[in-house]
Amino acid sequence: MELEAKEFGTIEREIYVEAPPEVVFDVVSSPDHLKEWWPDDARYDPTPGSTGEIVFGERDADGTVMQFTVVDVRPPRTFSFRWTHPAGEAAAAGNSLLVTFELTPSGGGTLLRMTESGFREMGWEVAVLEQQYQDHVTGWDFYLPRLAPCAEKLEARA
Amino acid sequence: MSTAVAEPVDDDLWSAIGDPTRRRLLDLLLAEGGGTATTLGRQLPVTRQAVAKHLGILDRVGLVRATPEGRERRYRVDEAQLARAVAQLSSVGSAWDTRLQRIKRIAETIQRTQQDRQQH
Repeated sequence: MELEAKEFGTIEREIYVEAPPEVVFDVVSSPDHLKEWWPDDARYDPTPGSTGEIVFGERDADGTVMQFTVVDVRPPRTFSFRWTHPAGEAAAAGNSLLVTFELTPSGGGTLLRMTESGFREMGWEVAVLEQQYQDHVTGWDFYLPRLAPCAEKLEARA
Repeated sequence: MSTAVAEPVDDDLWSAIGDPTRRRLLDLLLAEGGGTATTLGRQLPVTRQAVAKHLGILDRVGLVRATPEGRERRYRVDEAQLARAVAQLSSVGSAWDTRLQRIKRIAETIQRTQQDRQQH
């Protein structure tokens, strides 16, 4: 087993969506849609460099507020952001995770590719944090979408 | 309620593997099948004492196992424990699988709604 060959500092996923890139881009980038598929609340302006936050749980009752900085916005092809950096610090490599969505037209739909990187640089603690939020995303709706016959899950590059 | 969390994340294990020097040590131990603080120290820009300290941390979380060899200790990687650390990051990946399934469902619902509207 080669440790370098298993580059577990980056997560990569691809999924085919039966909707055009314009629709998918809106779903991955707008704060209103973001909170439908990830945090409980999202406040940011989807323009490059803008900063905001995403909230897991109740903001005023034991919720966790995470910093969120938009990096790149190129509709309908690319949307990227950094998150998990400490409040008051500018997001950069070493203090945050970088999530990038790349959209490619394919057939009548979109090939959506997601990479999340920065785990090595962050010293892994944040991966533990991600794990904590697993409960948040693996609830009642975990199995239903998997029944979609066209859903294709590609293996992360191992 | 959680279906994907097989075992709790081990903080010590993760912070042990989080250090670049210790990851390099693991790489070397994997490539060479084992080593001592002296042999490993020759290949890294740190002192033998620092290597010994890092090996101690890896040993405490079970990522390496030591056997006495002369005046030194010979270390090798515990592959089962390393696999466990790798599996924990995989669970972060599975959280993304779920998010992407949600993105897919939301986008496809929007698309179907728009198509229906155009047809009526």
